[in-house]
Amino acid sequence: MTEPLSFRRRDRVLEAMAARGLDTLVLGRADNTFYASGMRGLWTAGTRPFGAGCVVIAETGRTHVLSTSDAGLPETMTKEDLYSLTWNPQVMAGHLAAIEGFAESTLIGVDEVSPSFERAMARIAPRADIVPADDLMAEVRRIKFDEEIERVEAACAVAWSGVEAVLQTPGNPNPIGTAIVAMAKAGTTVPASAPTVLRRGDETIIDLGVLLDGYEGGVGGTFVYGQRQATAPIVDACRSGANHADLANAAAGPWLVRGLGMGFENPVLDPGHGHREVLESGMVLSVSHRDHRDVIAVTDGPPRILSTRPASL
Amino acid sequence: MLLAMTSDVVSPSCDLKRMRKQRLARLRAEMANQNVDAAVLLHGPNVTYATGFVPDAVDASHVTYQRAVAIVTCDRVRLHTHNQTADLECETGSALWPELDDDMQAMRAAVQELAGDLAGQRITIDSVNGAMARSGLFDGARLVDSNRVLGAARLVKTDDEIACIERSQILTEWAMEPAREACTIGATRRDVAGVFLAALRGSGGDHNEIDPIFQPMPRAQSDGPYTSSGAIAFPTGVGNPTYEKGDLVWVDSGHGYQGYASDYGRTWIVGREPSAAERSCFDRWLTITQACYDAIKPGVTLGDVARQAIAANGGTRPWLPHFYLAHGVGLESAEMPMIGTDLGDEFDDNFVLTPGMILVLEPVIWDDGIAGYRAEEIVLVTDDGNRTLSSFPGYAPFDS
Repeated sequence: MTEPLSFRRRDRVLEAMAARGLDTLVLGRADNTFYASGMRGLWTAGTRPFGAGCVVIAETGRTHVLSTSDAGLPETMTKEDLYSLTWNPQVMAGHLAAIEGFAESTLIGVDEVSPSFERAMARIAPRADIVPADDLMAEVRRIKFDEEIERVEAACAVAWSGVEAVLQTPGNPNPIGTAIVAMAKAGTTVPASAPTVLRRGDETIIDLGVLLDGYEGGVGGTFVYGQRQATAPIVDACRSGANHADLANAAAGPWLVRGLGMGFENPVLDPGHGHREVLESGMVLSVSHRDHRDVIAVTDGPPRILSTRPASL
Repeated sequence: MLLAMTSDVVSPSCDLKRMRKQRLARLRAEMANQNVDAAVLLHGPNVTYATGFVPDAVDASHVTYQRAVAIVTCDRVRLHTHNQTADLECETGSALWPELDDDMQAMRAAVQELAGDLAGQRITIDSVNGAMARSGLFDGARLVDSNRVLGAARLVKTDDEIACIERSQILTEWAMEPAREACTIGATRRDVAGVFLAALRGSGGDHNEIDPIFQPMPRAQSDGPYTSSGAIAFPTGVGNPTYEKGDLVWVDSGHGYQGYASDYGRTWIVGREPSAAERSCFDRWLTITQACYDAIKPGVTLGDVARQAIAANGGTRPWLPHFYLAHGVGLESAEMPMIGTDLGDEFDDNFVLTPGMILVLEPVIWDDGIAGYRAEEIVLVTDDGNRTLSSFPGYAPFDS
């Protein structure tokens, strides 16, 4: 029997830490915390100030998460692995110092750091060098497990339920509200990206992106009489081995190809960025070209489109 | 009548231009006060404070990659954003991708154009991400946490900021009415949240800031999740419970107007009128809240307000120990001043309220095994006391 996804994700993080010789990983980003620990807090919109939301210790193989309650505790953790919410930096320092293995660390990776936290680390783990590890998390998240691809596909289906609700109510003065209600029924009330519904004559331009149980899905396009206009050639260009030039050649006008999983991820390619990136089998990408957007999984053959209109709708 | 301080401002309007000008002046005054030469801001609320630009209310990963960046010096302010902007007074520059190593050259050029060589300068920043650390963007600069500078500037609100918060609160309260009607036997959390979010959208509310909480509470703590604080678990934010008759539902959500957060907190009962025990919890909540109102005015400390609340609760602290009796609200849904946190009594006793500060009171009553009551009220410290920022001062179904 396969191990639960949360164990497999955590083990990837631990392997990457070992490869870099990191004793400890301190994560501030909610998506990185979810990836490494399997624990997901309440969703809030917008950027967050840095805080140590998750600590991973190589020596013990344990993940520790900032949470006062054990609601949503994953199978990888026990309640003893939680440290409590605090407003007091000294109390936080005490929480971190109490984590087995933290204070003895010599190499600590961080996905982001505030000036005061970096200074505090010098007291909590005096022997440690602090190094960036945002790229470590980007690397482990880059290639998806099959189960993650299924989760993204399910999230895309939820986004489609919002699209269908908009298409079925052409005169509706609150189409985004209607999409929100439909997507709530289908599984989530959490947006990933800003919802778009624009009506121009016979055309309706729609783009919806959601997070379903932490995984993103979405779809965008121009609809005429309920039918989505043809796919963009850049979608088909997203194959294993494709590089920036391959994608640029398939596009005319603005385009963006970016990683998609627990939200917006690496790699990022657009006309001005990502010239060194090469697409690999197992990546999941959001592929935008003008108003068209699909979510695809890169394979050794043609891309597998995860944002196909579900037959059940 | 208790708490009957209904706002006579039906739809408070704010002068956005004046608000932006005053905020930038406050930020620069605080930078001067703390000898800060430049600010490089990436956290949404701080970017808004400096420039007036309000990032989309979307997932953190999206606004982190497609960040708006604000650079502020004593005589220039510039916004770099991925969105179209109009009507802002600041300079604007091309979109930056501060998460990408690819874009660090552009980032460095943008910062240096306004601030010059950073070496030896005192710079306030939100945080340093990996790409910035690898590129050595801030090497040689003396870095100060933005919350020390921006936090100080943002603490006292201008009249226009207050109007934005009030407007945001009025819209949230309005959109909660259909949600309350939808919170019936057999409905699920997502059903109710969908009704609320759609009502917000229908009135132009496109800045929901939190996955709305409609949490049915266990009657006994032992039936709910474990907490390290020993108090009832709230908010837990997981799952999609189906409401049953008599469920005690704690509601908490917030929306942003021009980036300014509202904060709605109430307790609802599903499918029946409140029982005598539930009403008793509500009555005690009202008594404590009134004690806070009686205490809040310029010159008193956070500690004074806490002591009044504790006295009104018979000597014990009427709030969740991992949170607070009250928190501020502004461009963030919880900011300073906070009363009763683990910063301790000395912090509270040294913090004096002044006009223009805002407190969200959120006392919590919990009689384990019986019932509880929790609600929130936004209170502005005025020149001679306080004023509630609210248009629906009701507590249905408890006051009907």
